[in-house]
Amino acid sequence: MKRICGAIGLIGMLLFAAAILRPAIVRGAANSPQAPSVNPPMCDRECLNGFVDQYLDAVVAHDASRLPVTPFVKFTENGQHLRLGDGFWRSAVKRGDYKFYIDDPQTGEVGFLGTMYEAGARDTSDPVIIALRLRIFDRKISEAETIIARGQMAEGGAKNLEKMGEPRKPFLEDVPAAERMSRIDLIMTANKYFSGMQQDDGKHDYSFFADDCNRLENGMQTTNNPHPMGGATASGEPRPAPSPRYDPAQHPTMYSAAWSCKDQFQSGLLHFVTRIRDRRFLIVDQERGIVFAFCFFDHSAGDTRNFETPTGEKVTAGPTTPWTWEIAEVFKVTGGQLHQIEAVLTQSPYGMGSGWSSWDDSMSDQPQF
Amino acid sequence: MRKRFWIAAAIFALSCAFAIGKPNRVRASASEPHRAAAASHCDRACLDGFVDQYLKALVAHDPSKLPLAKGVKFTEDGVALQPGDGLWATATGLGTYRLDFAEPGAGEAGAYAVIQENGTPGILWLRLKVAKGEIAEIETLVARKQTTSLLNTNNLTTPPAIFTEDVPAADRPSREEMVAIVNKYFDGIEQGNGDIVAFDKECVRIENGVQTCPGSASSRLGALSCGEQLSTKIFTYIQSVSPRRFPIVDRERGLVLARVRFNHPGSQQMVDVPGHGMMKMGAFSEWPNSTQIAELFKVENRKIREITAVIVTGTYKAPTGWE
Repeated sequence: MKRICGAIGLIGMLLFAAAILRPAIVRGAANSPQAPSVNPPMCDRECLNGFVDQYLDAVVAHDASRLPVTPFVKFTENGQHLRLGDGFWRSAVKRGDYKFYIDDPQTGEVGFLGTMYEAGARDTSDPVIIALRLRIFDRKISEAETIIARGQMAEGGAKNLEKMGEPRKPFLEDVPAAERMSRIDLIMTANKYFSGMQQDDGKHDYSFFADDCNRLENGMQTTNNPHPMGGATASGEPRPAPSPRYDPAQHPTMYSAAWSCKDQFQSGLLHFVTRIRDRRFLIVDQERGIVFAFCFFDHSAGDTRNFETPTGEKVTAGPTTPWTWEIAEVFKVTGGQLHQIEAVLTQSPYGMGSGWSSWDDSMSDQPQF
Repeated sequence: MRKRFWIAAAIFALSCAFAIGKPNRVRASASEPHRAAAASHCDRACLDGFVDQYLKALVAHDPSKLPLAKGVKFTEDGVALQPGDGLWATATGLGTYRLDFAEPGAGEAGAYAVIQENGTPGILWLRLKVAKGEIAEIETLVARKQTTSLLNTNNLTTPPAIFTEDVPAADRPSREEMVAIVNKYFDGIEQGNGDIVAFDKECVRIENGVQTCPGSASSRLGALSCGEQLSTKIFTYIQSVSPRRFPIVDRERGLVLARVRFNHPGSQQMVDVPGHGMMKMGAFSEWPNSTQIAELFKVENRKIREITAVIVTGTYKAPTGWE
């Protein structure tokens, strides 16, 4: 019996694998920057946003059965492959006010950053932040990828987002048709952000940052912030009041949220971000000049904590233990420059994969699209 | 029609995979002959030597000092890394606390050890598999202040002597029996029932350096024993203990090493505790999360006498890296 099962089962498994791989193959073609429209553009912006709303309403109702899904729908939460209905599906209680949709009708994918509420929060008035990606195939959800940022790392910023209610205006504005960048140029411009930050040495060309570049991370303004968090230095001394601009003459040893995007990179003080890997640029909204990417920031926390800034300052900075951020990051890109950046991030086990890439890809710092 | 064919093929394939895979699952969990087949010529002293060598290489940040097998697998907190990454980059010293255990017949050994990372103390749990004089598997968990709310290394200077005392040869249960005794502990957690677990009345449990049973008289549930704690149902937020592995059984010393994952879906925060009424459960009940756990049990007279564990808080249902 075993032998018969083995032979027939092998054939069955091959057919099974073929059935699973079919959407993936289409997906690969559909995501190609040169040929994005193998999948007919059946689901427009309104349709895609509708799927997001339908999905999140089902999450709040703790009822995955009400969703139109493909037979082999794949769901991950914070990088773990779960059954649809598990994880945040059990703990979510209601949607928040902050809703930021990023649509890619060409590929049938939609991204979303928003606030939600969870039953177990210490203070149930504290929202959590969700980053969501859905892939729509044949008017059904075939992929659902989520990051939930909660607890101390998100509480304050989530409240900020809740107050904002909607994304910053530049994200909602169309780029004039004549000025629209190609998909590949949008992606490669956004990728400069990751390449510039990885083992930052302050010595590269950072002209990809626009002067008005601003960044929110888990709802906290982490550039150009007139009131950045103070805190203490590694030796326990109060951190000096940050200069609103990066001034090498002040010999700073820690980058400041008061500085501009470009200043932070030019300081060379982000060197402790040792590896930005598994960079998946999955959603591009050409009309609005928006790129949505998933990636991981690794901080190996070893010798890379000790480095020299462009001004010759010897610095020890960054996490003292191996540390990984799992990140969803959205960029507003026009004229070949980054204008707005918004990220949702949660700490994950060091070196963890996304659940969507091979091990080699998940360790690579090359862009995937 | 084609759709039905795919489904039928898939169901058949899965049924066969289950039929073929089922015996393997049983074999991998506990069977003595299987492990005997993996036996090496490395005795306890030899295995302890590998652990020594590993820890020395670790703080020297130099895996090249180790006899690593080609294709060696290394995980830290359930994630596959290259030897040299993770704790290898940050370990700056070792504390005095070190608790070794081994199953020489299976070529498996391990240890709990206090480590320093850039001046911050933590606890390393290590499992090595040695074959043909080389390290073929390295599995680690690292309890760190930054990632674990429950951690205190202050009292971890020397391990309790009971973990290193030999059990008289005549009193040693079989490997299967020892695993079954410990496995009931996890059933008891899932079911909120301490009565089904063979606890010695003196049983003590230390988790990340903190004694968690018997409880202290000043705690909200009082000085309950390990078994009594389970029966309060205060651990109801632990929906499942899965997967469970028992990679090392040290029969000479009466030790069972369990590597498990506790799954906390975050869907229930309150529970009705007999005699106390509705109570809020622990912080892990508040959101979907899992804990990766390496737990060592001293089994004496077929009862659980002492427990020590390293626990790392992690992503909900994150793989252990070895299933």
